[in-house]
Amino acid sequence: MSRAWGRLTLPGKVVFTLVPLLLVLSVALVIVIAVFGGAMLDILVANVGIVRFLVAVTILLLLAPPSAFIIIYMEMKIIALMNLRLGPDRVGPWGTLLSTVHGLKVLMKEDFTPTGADRIVFTWAPIVVFMASVMGALVIPFAPGLIAQDLNVGLLYFFAVGGLSVVGLLMAGWSSYNKYSLLGGLRSAAQMISYEIPLTLSVVGLLILAGTMSLNTIVENQGPWFTDWYVFQQPLGFVIFFIAATAEANRTPFDLTEADSEIVAGFATEYSGMRFGFFFFAEYINVFIMSALLVTLFLGGWQAPFPFPELHIALDPGSLGIWLLLGIAIVPVVATLVLAAPFYLLRSSTPWWQALIAGFLLFNVLAVGAVLGIAYVNFDFVAGILWFMGKTYAFVFVFVWMRGTLPRIRIDQLMGFAWKWLLPASLVNLFVTAAAIVVVGN
Amino acid sequence: MALGETAPIIGIAFADILFVMLAAVMLGSALMVVLLRDIIRSGLAMIVCFAALAGIYVLLQAPLVAAAQVLVYIGAISVLILFAIMLTQTKAGPARLVFQTQSAAAAVAAIVLALVVAVAVGATDWGEVGERMHTATDTLARVLFDEFVLPFEVVSVLLLAAVIGAVYLAKREESGPS
Repeated sequence: MSRAWGRLTLPGKVVFTLVPLLLVLSVALVIVIAVFGGAMLDILVANVGIVRFLVAVTILLLLAPPSAFIIIYMEMKIIALMNLRLGPDRVGPWGTLLSTVHGLKVLMKEDFTPTGADRIVFTWAPIVVFMASVMGALVIPFAPGLIAQDLNVGLLYFFAVGGLSVVGLLMAGWSSYNKYSLLGGLRSAAQMISYEIPLTLSVVGLLILAGTMSLNTIVENQGPWFTDWYVFQQPLGFVIFFIAATAEANRTPFDLTEADSEIVAGFATEYSGMRFGFFFFAEYINVFIMSALLVTLFLGGWQAPFPFPELHIALDPGSLGIWLLLGIAIVPVVATLVLAAPFYLLRSSTPWWQALIAGFLLFNVLAVGAVLGIAYVNFDFVAGILWFMGKTYAFVFVFVWMRGTLPRIRIDQLMGFAWKWLLPASLVNLFVTAAAIVVVGN
Repeated sequence: MALGETAPIIGIAFADILFVMLAAVMLGSALMVVLLRDIIRSGLAMIVCFAALAGIYVLLQAPLVAAAQVLVYIGAISVLILFAIMLTQTKAGPARLVFQTQSAAAAVAAIVLALVVAVAVGATDWGEVGERMHTATDTLARVLFDEFVLPFEVVSVLLLAAVIGAVYLAKREESGPS
């Protein structure tokens, strides 16, 4: 027994202990739910406000790494295609699992603290940066009713929490005991403080139009046609916000905080392992959240660009009776055969099994499409989240595109641009909006 | 069985428990600001102190004030202070702080301030404030821009004067003979 245990590798030992433990725990959980399920449900329902908040926060935290993985993969692949390279193509289909592998690699790397570093501050810096990024997602409305917390001061909360990440970057830069890190930290402080002002001022005109700071209400105001989106009433504000958001997210051409050709990697130079991973995740979550905020404020959030005609698919599966079972059994087979037939008939060189596989795949695509279509028509939040994610990822693509296209600008140009161009422009925007509202009379 | 106003076993209101926790964090970090040897850590403790204060504002049903506290005091003022410290201090420089040589004068100032606060607290009639009321954002804005618009504008003129003064001081040093 002990010899067999000694032969196991370390992952083997972990799995060998964890699997029985998980089995026992899940059986216990099933029994507990079976016995006390009703009472537990009553308690949960009675405290639905707190439960909803906890669930929403947990979901946001859990969704943060996967969305960072998706954006990292997008960045690797899209920039590669723009550079006429292949990009990742080894792990998973078209290399889609590569960013996951990056995440696991980061977990397994050695995690060290440099000599002379301020240990406590060094440890806390990545946590502050990551939490500041994720907490911003709390007020973003993903779909009708799908918002973690509809705060009355939502937009102000977003800017307040977003401003916290600069504290984390400063902590990282200072505590690393490295002049490149310190330079990166100082640059990030100067840059983010400068760009926070036009970022905040550029939406004040929009706030005057909307009359609220609740992001949910702002989205609801922008319907039903795409001409109601605030981008058409606030084009200057949109442009300023986009530029300032790029700088706030530390993206190219404003990524001076980690300019690898000048100061190695800026504030992140001395970080390794999962602590670096937190910085890395935070950057990509920032890209997602900035795109989401841009879409929420200026492009109608989860609103469709035009109102769909009211469709009601009155499908009652129960009324079909026995035919429902027969249909579930027969339709896939028949549809696969019908869809495979053209492949087999049109090209005589196609073997029959390849035609069958093609037909089956085509049937799956059609079935998923039909289910999504029904869900889109019948459930508001499905339609909302599809539009929201579509628009958001379009902007994520633009951010990646800019990284593949634009060179980094100099620090004096960066500060001069913020103070001499963006700030006056946002003031002009605010003034014109206020004057227009006074003239038009609301 | 919804959660009530008071915690089940100890019988203290949840709001009071939260307040005591936030106040403890605030006072502890405020002490750290004064007592820590490393000036950067003092600055970071000050940020924790401000965050706890923002939490107390939320508890007092004033979310706008809390958000402004985080935005202005943590996001701008503390960061500027840290920025200035990092530009002027080096790790190789003297670790002991300059202002800890002035402890006698600081003690006198602290005692005087404590007396003033104690007198002010003792003289105030606290009986009126028994009930928490929610400060709606738009109500606050209406009061600020309707009833108190003149003091508001005067404050902004004061800030403008401060900015002009700062620019003047910075400019004069640059153009003067070195």
